[in-house]
Amino acid sequence: MYNSIKKRVSSKGKQGIYALLMLLLCGSKVLGQTDSIQLNTVVVKGFSPQKYMAGLKIQKLDSSLLAQYRFQNVMDLLSTQTPLAFRDYGPGQLSTVSFRGTSSNHTAVLWNGLNINSPSLGQTDFSTIPVASFEELTVQYGSAASIIGSDAVGGSLLLNSNPTLKNTNITVGHKQGSFYNNSSQLSANYDLKISPKWQLYGKTVFYQSAMFNKYPYQERKRVALLPSETFQKGFVQDITLKSKGNQVINAHIWITDNKLTLTPDELQGRELTKTTAYRTLVNYKLGDFSARTAWIRDVIDYGKGDYSDLDHAVIDKFSNRMEYEFRKNITSKSFVNFHVGGEHNHYRASLVNYVDPIVTENRLDAFLLSRFQINSRITTSFNFRKAVITKYSPPITPSFGTNFVLVQNQNYQLNIRGNISRSYRVPTLNERYWNELGNPDIKPEFGWNKEIGIEDSYAIANNQKLQTSFSFYHNRIHDWTYWNPAKSYHVENLQQVLAQGVEGTIGWQQNAEMWQLGIQAAYSYTHTVQEKAYDSYSSEVVGKQLMYVPKHQFNLNGFVQFQQTALRIYYQGISKRFTKADNSRYLDGYNTINLKLSTKFNFNSVGLELQGQINNVLDTFYLNVRNFAMPGRNYSLSLLAILPFKKD
Amino acid sequence: MKKQISNLLAITVLSAFAWSCNQSDPKPKGDYVQGVFAINEGNFTSNDGSISFFARENTTSDADIFSTVNSRALNGGIQGYSVFDDKGVILVDNSASGQDKVEIVDANTMESLASIGTPDIENPRDVVAVSESKVYVSCWGNTGTYPNFFISNGYVAVIDLETNKVTKRIAVSKGIENMIYDNGKLFVGRVSYSGSNYLTVINTATNEVIRELGFNASPTPIGVDANGNLWVQAGLDLAKINPTTLEIVSTMKISSDASKTAGNFAFSNDRRTLYFVLSYYDANYVTHGATYKYGINESQVNVSTPVINRVFTGLAVDPLQGLIYAAVTPSYAQAGYAIRYRTDGTLVDSIKVGIAPTGFYFR
Repeated sequence: MYNSIKKRVSSKGKQGIYALLMLLLCGSKVLGQTDSIQLNTVVVKGFSPQKYMAGLKIQKLDSSLLAQYRFQNVMDLLSTQTPLAFRDYGPGQLSTVSFRGTSSNHTAVLWNGLNINSPSLGQTDFSTIPVASFEELTVQYGSAASIIGSDAVGGSLLLNSNPTLKNTNITVGHKQGSFYNNSSQLSANYDLKISPKWQLYGKTVFYQSAMFNKYPYQERKRVALLPSETFQKGFVQDITLKSKGNQVINAHIWITDNKLTLTPDELQGRELTKTTAYRTLVNYKLGDFSARTAWIRDVIDYGKGDYSDLDHAVIDKFSNRMEYEFRKNITSKSFVNFHVGGEHNHYRASLVNYVDPIVTENRLDAFLLSRFQINSRITTSFNFRKAVITKYSPPITPSFGTNFVLVQNQNYQLNIRGNISRSYRVPTLNERYWNELGNPDIKPEFGWNKEIGIEDSYAIANNQKLQTSFSFYHNRIHDWTYWNPAKSYHVENLQQVLAQGVEGTIGWQQNAEMWQLGIQAAYSYTHTVQEKAYDSYSSEVVGKQLMYVPKHQFNLNGFVQFQQTALRIYYQGISKRFTKADNSRYLDGYNTINLKLSTKFNFNSVGLELQGQINNVLDTFYLNVRNFAMPGRNYSLSLLAILPFKKD
Repeated sequence: MKKQISNLLAITVLSAFAWSCNQSDPKPKGDYVQGVFAINEGNFTSNDGSISFFARENTTSDADIFSTVNSRALNGGIQGYSVFDDKGVILVDNSASGQDKVEIVDANTMESLASIGTPDIENPRDVVAVSESKVYVSCWGNTGTYPNFFISNGYVAVIDLETNKVTKRIAVSKGIENMIYDNGKLFVGRVSYSGSNYLTVINTATNEVIRELGFNASPTPIGVDANGNLWVQAGLDLAKINPTTLEIVSTMKISSDASKTAGNFAFSNDRRTLYFVLSYYDANYVTHGATYKYGINESQVNVSTPVINRVFTGLAVDPLQGLIYAAVTPSYAQAGYAIRYRTDGTLVDSIKVGIAPTGFYFR
């Protein structure tokens, strides 16, 4: 395993990798000797934005769910667990999101609180984010720009690293799939008592995947499958230093490299997109005060043929943040939290197509967040944010939300919630600085999101639980930017979009002594339309569903588990997706089913997890955004070995 | 206009397919025997070009007849369509390398008969069907990224419709675009951004290049007029060429305003008038301009009074009814239109077609 990883990465930076391996190996040796008194301590995180999101829908995907997807990317996970719609260009290829009917620029993706959307494109390619690279994923629906900042218009995804301190171990895993696709992982969780006062917790992960996509067929129903290869590798290092007092230092490094080649066998016409991201972050927390500094570098290389002439782009983001949180008790049951802070981001971009060889931009944010626990049933939040950006500034962004526990008794709880938020999106660097087509004076987009929701939970006899939830939202976005084809693709604040929808879920679960079973159904209706006409032919676009956003999406997930063996089924139904703004063309709707069978057992002290997977069980024929066929039924098998560190 | 009506003189070489159908039936059967075909380029990266069809008396079209008939899309940008006898040749340019092809269809039913892919066909640009054994397809070969876009020389592929195979590749320099056939010669133009100012002349008897004619800008052959002269547009120059001697008879300026671009030339049915679009971008990058006409015997091009006061992405004249068909592309994100005008420029009607129409084929 070590050898194979060494081979794979040796071309990059031999010395660095050896050093890291040494650290990993030495670390485990040391770890074997430590006594872990604080084993089950929960690491205190710097800042939990969810606290101030009263009235918003928040879905936390738990660690057991993430474990099922440890060899897959975030899109695979979210498409079965949420109503998010993905624009999928094909296996291992670009995959962008539409969150509640908004564009791919309208989802904030935060890694340990830091926005990692590409500053040039303003979006994240979800095919480049493996589930193995983080421990917690929270999906936050609706606008939360007052709390999160730019991009949080349709929703936000909060990825957090949180080394689980319950286990110190080394984990080795490999997955082999159809089409010669494979992936593997090596990770270590460890803790170390540095001094009587300081304790270290850490996690180191290496991952790689190789998608050769050697389909045994070249076309399905006479529609070609696009030949492509994707090689992904990455490294994650999380370290938490915790003092016995009230100091916590979190340090995170995440380096990920994704190399996609379209038609790799066409030596003259093959097309390479290589994206490498270096992400580093250090957070220091002293009591209620915390400070964070971070640096992100995105490197993108694109080219064709012999790759002698690659378009090379380097974008750096330097981010500094300070915040202070305090709590004031009002009565025994009511209290208020305040959170004030500021964040400064400096961007430095070098792109061939920009107006200047180096483009820089400064963005400053100040925020005041508050949460009132009025009584045991009512919580409200008032939040304000003000952003100041080189040359222009979005207006003050407020939000107000409330949660109300309407019914609460032993077996039943009913909550209602509501939220109204202003949102904004700062234009991307491409929108401002792209030579000729960009516009330095383009305005930030802004919107108002209103939503209400109702959730209940009913504990039935025999360890059964029934949960339902409904959400209704109305999100109007103004000054929506558009690379206007009628003006040679110059960017303009042309559109106004209204996204409205309903999301409903119902889930039932029973936990018996040996058996567990459950089923969850989720349906979403998304109606998202362009509202404003801007030239004579755009009237045909007004009132039409936005491109690539299905109106109806239905998920049905079920599982049955006997002791450590579980069978899971994931059904997804997606209605037709229009591919043209006037809805004159569309991709047909489709249904897919995936199956997973997994079992866990122990071999001596080594824990083993075996998982078999059948994707596209129905062999459904459907098309991706490029109009190529997606692969039919395919299989994979993975084995994971967990080697616990010896405890004295 | 590049989508010429193929030679109507029937050469009665019956293919095996036609034989098996019904050789004694004088009238071909099918939904697409007579009418207008709009060639829609589509949005390049979406690979959603199509061929739309409508009967002349109708005002609505089927936006994608190939899909309707074959239950699958063409899967690419559509660069051209030409018919010889009852066989049609569709040029499909996919955004990914190695995925380009020509689809050979039954022109009357649109049923797919065969397809020829790479490496025979790579970035096809225009098709001219001269005879059953001589269907010419201009190809760029592989392309790179800007500014080094044209990394390969081009070639003209010769397709034999009897075997549905490429029988010859005629090597030509980079950036070749539209083609005009006249009397044993194939004139091959260059795309405006090719950086090449040559018009290549191919002898179709030998399928060899016989001459490279130089111009001041990339040349676009338009067609042969009633007097037998070939007209070529090169930038803002309009040249008249004797296709026999290959001499440039005369050259005149279309406009002296270098900010303007001339394009989409189409002959009237009597081949004595040329229609064309003269356009420019304003400070807000919006295209303006108009459609003009020029009589082949006039001593200069008059661009003071347009025949139609708007710009189009394609122009053609219906040989049957004589109406002008003008293509409108509002954007690559929505359906385009075929607008019909009388030859005096008065509007008849408009018909919604596919994405980004660039030309028409009439049957």
